[in-house]
Amino acid sequence: MRFFKKSRNGVTGNHQNGTTRNNEQELYIAQQNAQPYVLSFNLEENIETLQSVYENCVDVVFRSFQVAGTTNAVLVYIDGLVNVEELDLVVLPSLMRPLSSITDFDIHQLLSQTLTVSKVSKTQLMSECIESISSGKAVLLINRYNHAFSLGVGKWEKRSIDEPVGEAGIKGPREGFIESLGTNLALVRRKVKSPNLKTKAIKIGTYTQTEVVVCYIEGLAHPALIQEVEERLHRIKIDGILDVGYIEELIEDNPYSPFPQMLNTERPDVVAASLLEGRFAILQDGTPFALVAPISFYSLLQSHEDYYERSLISTVIRWVRYLFLLISLFLPSLYVALLTFHQEMVPTTLLLTMAASRELIPFPALVEALMMEVVFEALREAGVRLPKQAGAAVSIVGALVIGQAAVQAGIVSAPMIMVVSLTGIASFTVPRYATGIAIRMLRFPMILLAGSLGLLGVMLGLLLILIHMATLRSFGVPYLSPMAPMQGQDMKDVLVRAPLWKLNTRPQLPGIDNLTRQGSDQKPSPENKDQ
Amino acid sequence: MSGLTKFKKMIICFLICSNCLLLSGCWDRVELNDLALVTGLGIDKKGKNTMLTVQLVVPKQLGGGMAMGGSNTKGGGATIIRTGTGAVMADAIRDLQEKIPRRLFWGHVKAVVFSEKVAKEGIRPYIDFLSRNPQMRLRSNMFICKGSAKNVLELSPPIEQSSAEVMRELSELQFLFRVTVKDALQMLAGSTQTAAIPLVQILPAQKGMSDLQTIAFIQRTAIFKKDRMIGSVNDKMSRGLLWIRNEVEQANITVSLKGAKGTITAAIIKMHTKLIPEYKNGKWKMIVKITSEDDVISNATNLSLYNKKHIHLAQKALADETANRIYAALHKVQKMKADVVGFGEAFHRKYPRQWNQVKDRWEDIFPNVEVTIKAKVNFRRPGMNTIPQGIPPEEVKK
Repeated sequence: MRFFKKSRNGVTGNHQNGTTRNNEQELYIAQQNAQPYVLSFNLEENIETLQSVYENCVDVVFRSFQVAGTTNAVLVYIDGLVNVEELDLVVLPSLMRPLSSITDFDIHQLLSQTLTVSKVSKTQLMSECIESISSGKAVLLINRYNHAFSLGVGKWEKRSIDEPVGEAGIKGPREGFIESLGTNLALVRRKVKSPNLKTKAIKIGTYTQTEVVVCYIEGLAHPALIQEVEERLHRIKIDGILDVGYIEELIEDNPYSPFPQMLNTERPDVVAASLLEGRFAILQDGTPFALVAPISFYSLLQSHEDYYERSLISTVIRWVRYLFLLISLFLPSLYVALLTFHQEMVPTTLLLTMAASRELIPFPALVEALMMEVVFEALREAGVRLPKQAGAAVSIVGALVIGQAAVQAGIVSAPMIMVVSLTGIASFTVPRYATGIAIRMLRFPMILLAGSLGLLGVMLGLLLILIHMATLRSFGVPYLSPMAPMQGQDMKDVLVRAPLWKLNTRPQLPGIDNLTRQGSDQKPSPENKDQ
Repeated sequence: MSGLTKFKKMIICFLICSNCLLLSGCWDRVELNDLALVTGLGIDKKGKNTMLTVQLVVPKQLGGGMAMGGSNTKGGGATIIRTGTGAVMADAIRDLQEKIPRRLFWGHVKAVVFSEKVAKEGIRPYIDFLSRNPQMRLRSNMFICKGSAKNVLELSPPIEQSSAEVMRELSELQFLFRVTVKDALQMLAGSTQTAAIPLVQILPAQKGMSDLQTIAFIQRTAIFKKDRMIGSVNDKMSRGLLWIRNEVEQANITVSLKGAKGTITAAIIKMHTKLIPEYKNGKWKMIVKITSEDDVISNATNLSLYNKKHIHLAQKALADETANRIYAALHKVQKMKADVVGFGEAFHRKYPRQWNQVKDRWEDIFPNVEVTIKAKVNFRRPGMNTIPQGIPPEEVKK
């Protein structure tokens, strides 16, 4: 695995360059590799090494005892990461029970007869021992034996499976990922039971040693795609990752784009559905979020509920979402453009109403719009960040001060409040939070363009955004596909949500030939019930 | 190093591009608060000069965004008028702008009103200006008024926001002519160079209300020949003209039937007029074919409309009445020698060669065109009742 490759390089590098290296990370690796990395036959020596590694670590427990009453052994683990009860009641008693025939003490016999733990692995490397201890295993070292056993008795505090907070829904499964990778993988595995669901693990982060797993379905995801993502993951050199957001930023195609090129989800069903479409998912230990790629812009506008609700309703809701996407991007800029450049395009009565409400407003429409949008962003941000108790205060102050007092004081016009709040609501109809933020962010340059060039500016902004989106790729998949390039087949899941019995093919991802998803002629009707 | 250069290049590129935007020098950004919205435009003559009257909306008196205000119910004071005079329209506008602190905005002109005096002298210079100005709407309605246009715009109507809006709404109803600036331009540039434009008049104010609290309503139709008004026809005649022009939207016709007391009134649902020109041996003939679908809206006779015979009788009577009205209107315009009914166009289309020979003296030929009107009326629905109401069933003639 990567870590060890790097470690060995570190050792040689250290010898060659000596003290010229001042990079802290390299120094750490060098220090770690200064230890002999093959276990010795002498238990004392091994323990000493481990104790020096875990110096000043109060939570590391060294428990010495005698195996079968004859051989010295030490069990090393980190308090809180292992199930101490299991050690006390199962592992230690079985190991300490005297053997019937003391003379032929055999390590293999020990394994097969007395060690009552299902997950056991053997290693000869010190570094692997350290890794096992750190990741919540108990490591058993035995005198006169140069192998260590790591016992999978890990158990640590974790949250129970909960409804995903960021992706709530009315229909569909209620379980969401939690911070434990094992649980998350199990959640996915419970949805996709085929052995073709592959999970490849990679460790990332010099210090955090975080386990990252790439999931895909063999035969559906293109091997080159999986190879590509593994390569990109291997390329990451970082001291630690704490959320998939780190990975996303380090492997995405266009780091400067405001648009997310991977889908963040905390729902196992979304991951399973994506896997079934030939995409891959990246799960990481310690975060309830998974990354899904390759995606197109339209997958960011789809919600899981689109597929749980009946097709007609999903189609209508999808169109509502598209409409509000446009509103959240264009409404304030169109308002500013119409008010300051194209007064003749507004119906007279509407214009008069707007003129009347703007009559005493001291700011130009552009300034007014920018001001209110910024205030809205502040309110939103404060609402997310504040503790629950203070949240109510913010919303009251926001609604009263911004909503009413500002209008009454004649600082902001009432239509502008409407425009801003409508835009705000519209941006939350986008099912993916990150996409909503991207759109909201783009609104500001749009307002500036509209305020300086009118509708011409709005068109200019729209063109720039479209050009940018057309050049974007998510792991080789054009961002605007299946719209541009046009893939007629896939339109069934973009403009409408075709009935499930019509969704016979998977989305066309590059390189995938196996597109058939299900049998045709599945349209339910009373006639073909006996077929 | 190369990265830095690329970054610098990008910045320079951006600066150059953004400067290009400023190079054109024009920036037509205007805040709504700096605009004076013109809703009505009146054109009068003052001696030799042109006097322009604009009707402006004063937004702060509309209410709207003034939650603190309270007294929004000011008696229709939402509009004000200002006048300016000058040798030509452009001068008058400049004079006008001097008296208004905000920039005049012509994008929302609802009504352009010419005084009868201006109309009689010729409206070409004015409508040329109107069509040339990019802000002005060609879709504003056009009116001629008796007396001064200023007086018409001055009115503060009790129902609508401004008198211009009243006139627009009235012409939208299409009881009588509805002419926009564009229509007028087209009519005057057409083969016959004649136009019909609605003529408005001030309705006497209701008792107890001030003289200004009233409206101007469309009463007659001014007939134009070569941009000069030559006369006008009354509302009944105007409707007759609309029949020939295939522009009737709403009309009621009341007839009394032979052999029955009382009248039957029908409302037109749908009508179609077809002009069939004929040129034979130097004689110009026109067949006007009119078909209409009507609803019976009142039946004050004792005839049951369940009877086919009665229906035929009523339809015939209605058709005759329609034809009579049209004849009357036609005679009137033929006497005026103004072909506002589009006969010239029809002949031009069917007999272009013959038309070209007579087009210069068409006004002499037009009064002599032989017109045959073939009207046909179909009842579609007798309304909610089939038998006459309010009389005992025995008296109903079945």
